[in-house]
Amino acid sequence: MKTTLVVAAALAALGAAPQAAAAQGRPADAAAPVTLIRNATVLTVTKGTLPNTDLLLRDGKIAQIGQNLSAPTGARVIDATGKYVMPGIVDPHSHTMADAINEGSLSVTSMVRIQDVLNPTDVSIYRQLAGGVTTINVLHGSANTIGGQNATVKLKYGRDVDEMLFPGAPPGIKFALGENVTRKSSQERSRVMGQPLRYPATRMGQEEILRDAFMRARDYKAAWDDYRARVAKGEKNLVAPRRDLELEPLVEVLEGKRLVHAHSYRADEMLMLLNLAKEFGFTVKTLQHGLEGYKIASEIAAAGTGLSTFADSWSYKIEAYDAIPYNVAILMRHGVVATINSDSDERARRLNIDAAKLMRYGGLTEDEALKTITYNGAIQLGVQDRVGSIEVGKDADLAIWNGHPLSVYSNVETTFIDGEIFFDKQRDLAMRAEQARERAELERADAAGSGRRAAIVP
Amino acid sequence: MTMTSHAAVRPARRPARALLVAAALAAALPLTAGSAAAQLGSFNPPPGPHGVYAIRGARIVTVSGPTIERGNVVMGADGRIQAVGADAAIPAGAQTIDGTGLTVYPGMLDAGTTMGLAEIPQGANATMDATEVGTFNPNAQAFYGINPHSAHIGVTRVVGITQVVSRPTGGILSGQAALIELAGDTPPQMALVPRVALAASLPRSGFAGRGFGRGRGGGGSTEDAERERTAQLDSLRAMLRDAAAYMKAQEAYAANTSLPRPAHDVVLASLGPVLRGEMPVLFSADQASDIRAAVNFAVENHLKAIILGGREAPEVAALLKQHDVPVIVTGVMALPSSEDDPYDVNFSLPARLAAAGVRYAIASGEDGAEARNLPYVAGMAAAFGLPKDEALKAVTLYPAQIFGVGDQLGSIEVGKRANLVVLDGDMLEARTNTKALFIDGRPVPLDTKHTYLYEMFKARP
Amino acid sequence: MQIRRSLTATTAMLLVGVAAPSMAAAQLGVQQERNAPSTYAITNARIVPGTGATIERGTVVIRDGVITAVGASAAVPSDARTVDGTGLTVYPGFIEAFGSLGMPSRSNGNGGRGGRPGGGPQAFFRGQQQEQPDGAPNSLHPPGQQPEILAVDLLDPADDAFTAAQAAGFTAALTAPASGIFVGQSAVISLRDGAVQELVLRSPVAMHIGFTTSRGFGGGFPNSLLGVFAALRQMLLDAQHYAAVQAAYTANPRGRARPELDPSLAALQPALARQMPVVMTANSEREIARALDLAKEFNLRAVIAGGQEAYKIADRLKAENVPVLLSMDFPERPARRGPDAEPEPLRVLRERVEAPRTPARLVDAGVQVALQSGGGYDDFLANLQRAVENGLSRQAALRALTVAPAELFGLGDRLGTVEAGKIANLTLVRGDVFEPGATVTQLFVDGRPVTVRAAAGRGEGTTATAAGTWTVTVTLEGSDHPVTLGLQQSGETLRGTLQGTLGTAQISNGSLTPEGELRFTSTVTLPAGSEEATFVGTLTGNTIRGTVTIVGHDPGTFVGTRPEARGPGGARGQGRGAGRPPQR
Repeated sequence: MKTTLVVAAALAALGAAPQAAAAQGRPADAAAPVTLIRNATVLTVTKGTLPNTDLLLRDGKIAQIGQNLSAPTGARVIDATGKYVMPGIVDPHSHTMADAINEGSLSVTSMVRIQDVLNPTDVSIYRQLAGGVTTINVLHGSANTIGGQNATVKLKYGRDVDEMLFPGAPPGIKFALGENVTRKSSQERSRVMGQPLRYPATRMGQEEILRDAFMRARDYKAAWDDYRARVAKGEKNLVAPRRDLELEPLVEVLEGKRLVHAHSYRADEMLMLLNLAKEFGFTVKTLQHGLEGYKIASEIAAAGTGLSTFADSWSYKIEAYDAIPYNVAILMRHGVVATINSDSDERARRLNIDAAKLMRYGGLTEDEALKTITYNGAIQLGVQDRVGSIEVGKDADLAIWNGHPLSVYSNVETTFIDGEIFFDKQRDLAMRAEQARERAELERADAAGSGRRAAIVP
Repeated sequence: MTMTSHAAVRPARRPARALLVAAALAAALPLTAGSAAAQLGSFNPPPGPHGVYAIRGARIVTVSGPTIERGNVVMGADGRIQAVGADAAIPAGAQTIDGTGLTVYPGMLDAGTTMGLAEIPQGANATMDATEVGTFNPNAQAFYGINPHSAHIGVTRVVGITQVVSRPTGGILSGQAALIELAGDTPPQMALVPRVALAASLPRSGFAGRGFGRGRGGGGSTEDAERERTAQLDSLRAMLRDAAAYMKAQEAYAANTSLPRPAHDVVLASLGPVLRGEMPVLFSADQASDIRAAVNFAVENHLKAIILGGREAPEVAALLKQHDVPVIVTGVMALPSSEDDPYDVNFSLPARLAAAGVRYAIASGEDGAEARNLPYVAGMAAAFGLPKDEALKAVTLYPAQIFGVGDQLGSIEVGKRANLVVLDGDMLEARTNTKALFIDGRPVPLDTKHTYLYEMFKARP
Repeated sequence: MQIRRSLTATTAMLLVGVAAPSMAAAQLGVQQERNAPSTYAITNARIVPGTGATIERGTVVIRDGVITAVGASAAVPSDARTVDGTGLTVYPGFIEAFGSLGMPSRSNGNGGRGGRPGGGPQAFFRGQQQEQPDGAPNSLHPPGQQPEILAVDLLDPADDAFTAAQAAGFTAALTAPASGIFVGQSAVISLRDGAVQELVLRSPVAMHIGFTTSRGFGGGFPNSLLGVFAALRQMLLDAQHYAAVQAAYTANPRGRARPELDPSLAALQPALARQMPVVMTANSEREIARALDLAKEFNLRAVIAGGQEAYKIADRLKAENVPVLLSMDFPERPARRGPDAEPEPLRVLRERVEAPRTPARLVDAGVQVALQSGGGYDDFLANLQRAVENGLSRQAALRALTVAPAELFGLGDRLGTVEAGKIANLTLVRGDVFEPGATVTQLFVDGRPVTVRAAAGRGEGTTATAAGTWTVTVTLEGSDHPVTLGLQQSGETLRGTLQGTLGTAQISNGSLTPEGELRFTSTVTLPAGSEEATFVGTLTGNTIRGTVTIVGHDPGTFVGTRPEARGPGGARGQGRGAGRPPQR
């Protein structure tokens, strides 16, 4: 029971059960009734655009796509005539919900987990739902060469963290290369002030950190393999090797069980990592930012690595000065799975516009542009079988837009995750009035409480 | 798109794999050879020559009048719009673009940038020239700091932003902003109004803001902060009074040279146009209290005020209207400042200001590199309640009017400067492509640093 | 505290060689006090014994520190010193269920205060080379991660350490170092003058986990909440491994390399074996959930300390049988707000309105609750009364102050009720302690009368306070960003929200030392993206200023003022309390 009484009343008025109320008094859906969305233009992303189409959502899944579908009794029916339905946006680089972003003390902090510090009440979740976002990749920051473990999250605002973690999403980890790790400006200050410098201060040192970490991970894996082999042979009185939370995730990387998301800007540093990964026998899942990816598009494609970038951000630091908004277009034409991400609580609310820019910069088709914020992101997070497109059997994570989502003039009317409504424009308006009422009530209670207390304090 | 005089309008593409962009530029465009070595390279090809140009058979969004569904625009050799209309005659010999299927708009104006003054904020301090040392710098002029070869300029104009206001920042009186057109090799070529407004940020109410506690070790209280703020405002008032006296003394001496000759003072002299009401003061203010303070200070000192920011301007609408103070909104894309604010509180700000009857314009809120998002910022305002034609005016005619150049810019009318954008769709849409660009009646190549790199690498095997 | 003032007890022992502590004390000239008759009878008092019915008018007899008789007709021994209890109510002595009473203010037993460099951005660059404070001797682990530290070894109460707590009616307290990750092991102590050795009722009582690392960016691993969890998990795994290695060696030492001694990992064994409860400081719903998750992962006997939002997760606390040492330091209402002040977030208003309702809600949900002051002794009784007004029964309230903590801390047979045979800890109140106007007039602690003096602020510990709404300007790379910083403080821990043009974020890893060193991290949204910013600065009066560090950016600065003074509770340690003369 996590609602306040007044919110409960409001939700009851809206026909939603109080226990579903979101943390900050924003509405979430009661349960997930069967929903029929009628007569929409459906942007499936993977299977073209379907005019005048119905969608049936049942048990959290997209149950049927077709025309003149019939609504089961008790179903919620939404007339979407003139409206567009697109898959929920997938943001492959986010720091939303994280109570802490960087464990910046060491160069290798693979032992830390974003999952441990998620804040399910972060109001940014709601704001992003209002922008049609349903799945985000919450990443560790870029303070060190090997950062912490990510969390793939469905933006089920108001629920517990456990309910928000994307079930079955493969685990990942953040790496970081370039200026944020070398901290050039800070290092310069240290030099002037005669303070010790942090290693690594160059891209050369970053390579060494990576190589050292993976060599240690290999040794660690060998120790465990050896132990398990001896146990299997029936040896007694063995003590298992010490579990090392730093190296365990790196072993998973070596085994292909953990996805590497590597913050990187310059082409040379990206290439270094791709080659090092090849040497150690794993594939980098994504280059994050990768602003100069276009300079080595064929190498990235050959490595089987994806790239997640900004639509048009550039020039904010030296290593971003050669960024071009044609990056995604060049990469896609070379066969790289490319996406647009936000890396920002602000930009995450309007990724549809960022995707639309790619039609101007490099001439992507509508579907290609949409893929950069939906299906390709799902691939990069290893959840493409669940989300990222509108297909029967996939999770009912989608948004109804009042116009084409690639138009700047459009916005979201309703956002669904697993068939439940987590944002709805009309409910939002109703909640504003309710919020004002709650504020008045709280102010009164607060003043009364303090008044009584003031009288009894000696 | 076909052109009768292709080469003149759009210089031939250089080889895709040109190794040295600067060298290629120098070879192709001898005019820029002298400036090609400018800081960080020069990627902004210069415009073609003045001449008689025409766009034929295009949809023409005039902004000031009704949209012409199919018509012609003619630009004269003086850089002005010579004719516009469904049946406007195209002079013989005019270089003509076939505008069939295309739309012509007046170029946009981004009123809140530091374009040309600031290039790379992190790790490249030498490229940052927007903030002078000190608190009162009314004499600092953006005009003297703008780098015409900033790569930001090229990528900004090709989305249809043909002019910007670039302003100094920092301190209380930051300096004088320039209204520049985004074409030209030198600041004098670019500046339409070299000194268009004095940029200012009053110390914030409830907090002394800048300068607070400067030079004092630790300590301080709310009362101290308020005292400090009052002291700073008093210094500012004193400076304005001194400037008025200076102006009077100079005028008196000019009329009567038998008077003792007054000594010159570059700072006080620079405030003359402000005191005469010729130059507006661009106050950065977002909170209602700060906006109120700025308007009241302007009224008290007979200054012509413009508010830059204006997040809470709707709360102060009556005061703004009473004194006819316009607001340039910079924070449409900003996150709500309170967790309880509606998610769309800033998206809807222009609509709320329009409804309240306050004069306003929309700026991108970006310094330079990202200013090219201005059309989508306006589009976002339109997605949240602002009529589409208002959104367009908010980035064309309205900012031009606010800065006193409404008779020259912001709409397609005969006699106005021929700053025109030809696109294959709605100018505020992100997916629209620019097909041709004219600034001051000169065709501007659509090449930028970004297209150069694109061409260089797109076909790399 | 005469002994401690002249010489520490330890030194005294050295001086007298092998003499027993009591003898040592005697030789140092305190025997007058020792030999004073210690039989007392409190007569004509209303007695709320905490077990059985209230005695409207009766007598409590105390001899040699122990209650010998209680009743309406209990006889007053002829040798007893009589205390006339007319108009007074005798309650079982209140037990402060959590805190750091008697811990030295510059404890070297944790990684927090001692480990903090001088502040400023320099700390950012020091990396691993930062000078570490002294910790437990021979520990292989850094300060802040030394579970072998015993509160009793650090106990060193200042003269007035207990004054404020006593004025709020507390006679005993659970105490542990103030900050760190593995903070150490707590003790229950008597709140009176006396040699440290006399004060200890039980030690060790519980393992304490604080989840805080105050060392900030660059201060060594871990310097964030992320790292705290990793460090906790690794150390608990290492402790399990240590046990296995030691067991294997003990079973068969021949031919094996001898494993090294690790006192820190050894100290964790009772907690891993569920023999010792683990007290985890957690206030928000998610902090509590994280603590419970950790406890579940390692099968620990969890106890939550703080528990501000515990009502939101009461069902789980009940289901997992986790007691809460609930803080009564309710958030306070700002005194006055300027006409242009931003409205307070609803969340903050809710917290304030919900706080006094929380004790009743937890009790109603069947959660075991013991109350702690949270350091806010000035307001403790008033807040207790607010909790009762908001639905907490008097019986439950008394239980949460007495029997519940006594039982939780393994002292149920000695403490918690007014019964013959129990330790004579009594709280004497004029009026009814759950009614407005009640005042604590006197205590008996270990059978000795303790005169209640007016509290001196928050007692030992935090003197600076950062709570309130701050108007802050953050300057980053030449741009000013106005933000509003709403802070709440409990002990040295800060919570709160940063709102404004940098986005909305709840701060984490917030701390404030008694000396005014301020530190917290927050997400900020800049044009280039959302980043984590570490704020390090100092608080002086109503001003905060310092530096902001963001990965990949040049260091920035912040300066802010607090336009509103604090509410009816006053600015603790500065206004109300500190300046008030003792009412002896």
